[in-house]
Amino acid sequence: MLLPKFEFYEPTSIQEAIDLKKKYRGKAKLMAGGTDLLVHLKKKLVTADHLISLAKIKELSQVQQAGDTLKIGTCVTMSQLSKSAVIQEKFGAIKTASDNLGTHLIRNRATLGGNVCNASPAGEALPSLIVYQAQVRLQGPEGKRKIPVESFFKGPGKTDIHEGEILVGFQLPLPEKNYGAHYLQLGKRKSSEINVVNVAAFVEINPADQTVKTARIALGSVAATPIRSFHAEDVLTNKAPGEAVFYEAGEAARHKDCQPIDDFRGTAAYRRAMIGVLTKRTLETACKLAMAQ
Amino acid sequence: MKKIVTLTINKEHYEVAVEPNRTLADLLRYDLGLTGTKKGCDTGDCGACTVVLDGDVVNSCLVLALQADNTTIETIEGLSNEDGLHPLQEAFVEKGAIQCGFCTPGMIMSAKNLLDKNGNPSDTEIREGLSGNLCRCTGYTKIFEAVSSQCSDNQGGSNE
Repeated sequence: MLLPKFEFYEPTSIQEAIDLKKKYRGKAKLMAGGTDLLVHLKKKLVTADHLISLAKIKELSQVQQAGDTLKIGTCVTMSQLSKSAVIQEKFGAIKTASDNLGTHLIRNRATLGGNVCNASPAGEALPSLIVYQAQVRLQGPEGKRKIPVESFFKGPGKTDIHEGEILVGFQLPLPEKNYGAHYLQLGKRKSSEINVVNVAAFVEINPADQTVKTARIALGSVAATPIRSFHAEDVLTNKAPGEAVFYEAGEAARHKDCQPIDDFRGTAAYRRAMIGVLTKRTLETACKLAMAQ
Repeated sequence: MKKIVTLTINKEHYEVAVEPNRTLADLLRYDLGLTGTKKGCDTGDCGACTVVLDGDVVNSCLVLALQADNTTIETIEGLSNEDGLHPLQEAFVEKGAIQCGFCTPGMIMSAKNLLDKNGNPSDTEIREGLSGNLCRCTGYTKIFEAVSSQCSDNQGGSNE
């Protein structure tokens, strides 16, 4: 398969990238790791006369902790996330997601910004980013803005990014105490899979009475975008964690929150059933981690 | 418009003029004649085009040649020398880990990178290290045995 002809740019500053994007507008595509974009270009699913790589902008490839927030640059690769100490220590559900995307060859190139901008309903990192309340940092000719990742997705492959804007990174509040989070995905094989369903959960326990203070659950591959499972969260709030409550939350996610479709990876009914199971299991682990703190 | 790429491949210095839409896999194969690196799917699924780029394995079909400017690349051609095959290549021959041979260069580059980073990987780590490379002939067992035989404690199969 041949790549179509394009001009290639490797700006070294965000401003330079914004200027290039402004110059070529719709004829230009931004590229982070390229593991999806180059495939889409080869298959003629997208076209671009100009390809602007963000990989040479150093600040976009950094994971930085500043006070009570964590900043992750858009070009940070999945392998980088897996190895990052702060991700391993504080953001276990992101670590698990980045360990499980594609193959290790892909993970050496694929980036968090790319995974989010592709906006696949099955995107590995998306449910975890949602439950950690990540904010998307955008920068364009009009200036900077920040929006919750949860409201960034508008449909399969569609996001709230405006023409000319660049997703420069993410900002996440550092979780405090008495919390636990977990991510699970179900596919047909262990490596190089595309998810049938994926679920992330974040739980904060009230230390005084050991009940659930806050629960955030996000479901992937069961709607046009990754979604919050509000009914399941309601089931948990103020309850003592336990098998019966987790099951009830799973059932709420299965019957009230997910809206899956039939496709060649699985039927809607199978997806619903698996959302129930995965929600229950993610909660079990998240609560266990929260109680252990 | 063509641009000049400067890179080091198997310890040799190269300067090549390439079009922006040239992939690293095509640069290796068609511009430099290093056809040991194979092209299977060309979409990052099969791993036949695996090379080591600045110490990490990548699918060279998903890296633009221009992105490889100022990098250091290792390909299958860099393994053997005038004394003969690399021990890992010998192990693949010895264990019958090659049939049609198409996946072998990628498989060996993944295995070599794994062993370079961790001389004594566990069985699970070997399987994970090879999980980005597809083989349609061998059923993987012989490939696993070949890599396992090269672990530093050389006790493949019982080191977990």
